[in-house]
Amino acid sequence: MPLEVKLVLFVALALLTIAAGLIWKARSGSANSVKAGESVDLGKLKAVKDGAPVSQFGHKVTFVQFSTEVCAQCRQTARLLGEVEAKHKDVLHLEVDVTNRLELAAHFKVLQTPTTLVLDSTGRVRSRIGGAPKPNVIAQELEKLEVN
Amino acid sequence: MSTANETKPVGIDPRGPRFGATITNVLSIVIFFLALDSDPINQSAAYLLLVLAAALFAVGAFFGTSSHPYAWLYKKLVRPRLGAPKELEDPRPPQFAQAVGLFVAAVGIVLQAVGVTYGVAIAAAALFVATTLQAYFAYCLGCQIYLALKRSGIIRAS
Repeated sequence: MPLEVKLVLFVALALLTIAAGLIWKARSGSANSVKAGESVDLGKLKAVKDGAPVSQFGHKVTFVQFSTEVCAQCRQTARLLGEVEAKHKDVLHLEVDVTNRLELAAHFKVLQTPTTLVLDSTGRVRSRIGGAPKPNVIAQELEKLEVN
Repeated sequence: MSTANETKPVGIDPRGPRFGATITNVLSIVIFFLALDSDPINQSAAYLLLVLAAALFAVGAFFGTSSHPYAWLYKKLVRPRLGAPKELEDPRPPQFAQAVGLFVAAVGIVLQAVGVTYGVAIAAAALFVATTLQAYFAYCLGCQIYLALKRSGIIRAS
C-alpha cells in the first residue's frame, strides 16, 4: 500500500476518533427528562447508606447512582453527589452497585455506569443522567426540583 | 459515604494507566503503518509488535496494572516529576481495560494467522481508537461497556 493511502487512512481514523471523543464528551453527563417516570421501589432497590437500609427518599431530591466495580468515573460521581448531598439537607444520594445485580440493571435499562436517576420527593424518576454528571447539570436538576 | 467501599482494593495513581495508554497509542500507530506496508519484513514486524502488545496487555489483565512494565516506567520516570496524586483510583477499571486490549490484540493475531490480509492493521486501528479516547478524552472502557457485556452474557460474574 503506498504511503499516501496509508496516511489518508490514518488521518481519517484519527479524525473519526477525535470526533467520537468530542461527541462523547459533550453528551456524557447531560440530563434527559423522563416523562411519566416510574416511582422507584426502595424495597427492591435495596440501597444501603452508612451501613443501614434506606427506606425514605430525600425531602426534595434523591440521586440514585448505579455503579460497578470497574467504573473509574463512578468514584468521581459519588464524590460530586456526596458533596451536593452534604450541602443541601433536602438531597439524598444513594449509590447502588449493580455489578452482581443484573436484574436491577435490566429493570432500569442501565447500560453504562455511572447512570444517575434524579427522583423527586415522591420517588418518581424525573431525569436520567448517563455518564459522570456535569456539575452545572446537577445544579439545573436541583433548581427544577426547587432545592436551594 | 459510598456503600461499595468495604472490599475496595488498594488505590493506584490514576495518571499511571493514562500514561500507559499513551505509550500503547503510539505503539498502535507504528503497528498500523507497518502492517499496511507492502514490504513483508515490515508486515512481520507489525505482527510481532502486536504479539508484544498482547503480552503486555496480558500482564496488566492477569496480574493487575501495578505489575505492568509501563507502571514501573511511570513510577521511575514520570511520577517523580509530577508529585503525589490528588487522589487514588480503584485498580479494577484499568485492569478491565487491559483485558479488553488483550482481547482486541488476540483477535488481530488470530485473524492474521488464519489469512485475513489486514487482521493486524484492523486490531491496531481498534487499539488506536480505544487508547486515544482513554489517554486524551479520559474515556473509561469499564464504565461504558462492562455492564453491557455482562448483561448480554458475554462476560460472566467475576
